[in-house]
Amino acid sequence: MTQAYTILLDSLRMLRASKLFWVSLWISAVVAVVYASVGFDDKGITVMFGLWDFEIEIMRKGTPESQAFYTLIFTDVIVRFWLGWASLVLALISTCSIFPQFLQTGSVELAISKPVTRARLFLLKYIGGLLFVAVQTLLFTIVCFIALGVRCDEWNLSVFWAVPVVTFSFSLIYCIGVFVGVWSRSTIFALFASLIFWLMTLIVQWVDDFTYKMGYTIPEMGVNLDMRTGQVSEGTEDAGAGFRGFHQKIQPIVTIMPKTRETILSLKRLIVFKERDSMLAGVDLGSVFAGGEMDPNAKEAMKKYDLRYSWFSIVGTSLIFELVVLGGAMLLFSRRDY
Amino acid sequence: MSDLAVDIEFLRKRYSNGVEALAGVTLQVPRGSIFGLIGPNGAGKSTLVKSLLTILRPTECRGTMLDEPIGKKSTLAKVGYLPEHATFPEYLTGRQVIEYSAGLAHISRRACKDRVDRLLDQVGMNDAAARTMRTYSKGMKQRIGLAQALVNDPEVVFLDEPTDGVDPEGRIDFKRMISALREEGRTVFVNSHLLAEVEQIADRVAILSKGKIVKQGLVSDLTRREARYELRIQGTLPAEVMSWCGERGISIQGNVLSLMAENAIAVQPLIDKLRASLVIILELKEDRFSLEELFLQTVMEQRQTPNGTVAR
Repeated sequence: MTQAYTILLDSLRMLRASKLFWVSLWISAVVAVVYASVGFDDKGITVMFGLWDFEIEIMRKGTPESQAFYTLIFTDVIVRFWLGWASLVLALISTCSIFPQFLQTGSVELAISKPVTRARLFLLKYIGGLLFVAVQTLLFTIVCFIALGVRCDEWNLSVFWAVPVVTFSFSLIYCIGVFVGVWSRSTIFALFASLIFWLMTLIVQWVDDFTYKMGYTIPEMGVNLDMRTGQVSEGTEDAGAGFRGFHQKIQPIVTIMPKTRETILSLKRLIVFKERDSMLAGVDLGSVFAGGEMDPNAKEAMKKYDLRYSWFSIVGTSLIFELVVLGGAMLLFSRRDY
Repeated sequence: MSDLAVDIEFLRKRYSNGVEALAGVTLQVPRGSIFGLIGPNGAGKSTLVKSLLTILRPTECRGTMLDEPIGKKSTLAKVGYLPEHATFPEYLTGRQVIEYSAGLAHISRRACKDRVDRLLDQVGMNDAAARTMRTYSKGMKQRIGLAQALVNDPEVVFLDEPTDGVDPEGRIDFKRMISALREEGRTVFVNSHLLAEVEQIADRVAILSKGKIVKQGLVSDLTRREARYELRIQGTLPAEVMSWCGERGISIQGNVLSLMAENAIAVQPLIDKLRASLVIILELKEDRFSLEELFLQTVMEQRQTPNGTVAR
């Protein structure tokens, strides 16, 4: 217990000493404050605590639509883009140096010469890196939780799912950085390797996503898309067969890859807001801005699309991937001469 | 309990690239002594220490440290270590570095505070303990390094080049602190290039060359074994005496004659010869080999015989 406390405390001290940690925290704070600054008055939406007004009748203060809109900003913008992208990039930049620095000659010997097993040392250092994201996400989520409570009168503890989910999503990329960092002892190499790998996983997920939508979702909506002319028509003709075939072919790759994007998107399943009698119920922010109400068929198809992966497909396979990569990194760390 | 803190029967380390850093080392370090391991760069000194501390995985190792098989992690709770070119996190203060080391060594937080205060005092870093490592000089870092090596109240302390980069005043302090560790009953194992310092503080030394121990024993024994006598005379030597000296391997440099001898008896014929030739003897002194000379001689011998055998 003393050893774990010591290593985790050291990780926190290291984060506190890192300028990037504070830069990242400040940016987080700005994003959270901007979110908190969005409000509603008798005319519509206000931004920056009333500095700008936008007259939108259905978004007036107290309407179910305004409250639904506010929650949609959290799930569709903040979770997806800030927590799922920007904050993770900053975290990777900040944490990729942990292992290369630790493995410097003259530094690693001090720790290894103590009565602590290498495996324990490795795992505690790894968890220390995850603390970066956990702490930042927690602070950020607290502000969002308060903002949601004040603006929508919805004191929703499920928003705190963001902390483990975002940390887990980060860990899927970070483990690559750790593996390469342990192997090469180079921060730059570790960072680039993890960013390139992340991009690869995203490409796979985007292709999977796109082929699923084209192969299953759009036909289920009763829409035909002519790929040669780009024309959309209603009907029952099945134009998605080719996409379905391709989608099935890439499934083995999709299965073994970590699902960072899907993990973040799964927050929409976990963060459950109370049912409101709102026109925005069951739609995403894209549909809100596109205008028009989605027909029941399309809603059903989109719901099926959102739930197409089981928890095991998202978390289980990603976790297996992470354990394999971490196992390799730990083996390298444990068997190496320093 | 054995009298030996470290008893290496056989230690070999061959790296994956084929380099044999340790070619079968046998070494004994008595408890409560200061042991100096000396050798040229690349001789395998750090490799030997790292092998004992599980930092390296030896290819073959038989022996004990503190009566436990070498490589047993739990033994390291009774061992302290200051690595060569120790790098401490720059964001930590001196006190935090020692606390970090204490935590890894399973020292309870309650015991830690008193111990850290005492050690900071011992290494003369009390006033600077709250400053971060990035503000420290090399000497200050080494002092903190020594304190962190002692935080678990170790029975054996390994110091790898402890005075490297430390100023003369700091070196004197270090020698005093190392000697104090022996007074406390600890075994101190010092790797150093600074032979004069090792000679001043160590009870025993071993010379490591090309991965083998080529000499080891008490410092006093090793230097006595190579005793030398010097005679200083007035004026110049007659040609006949010079020739006599040359035949007996007595070297002449100006007005100083020197010869290798186990004891003073072997010098008497030279004195008789000089007196018979009416040469005035100004001074006769026993001139022991310094550790540096012993080291150079041993290393030179090793270079001439690549597969030299281990001398005990």
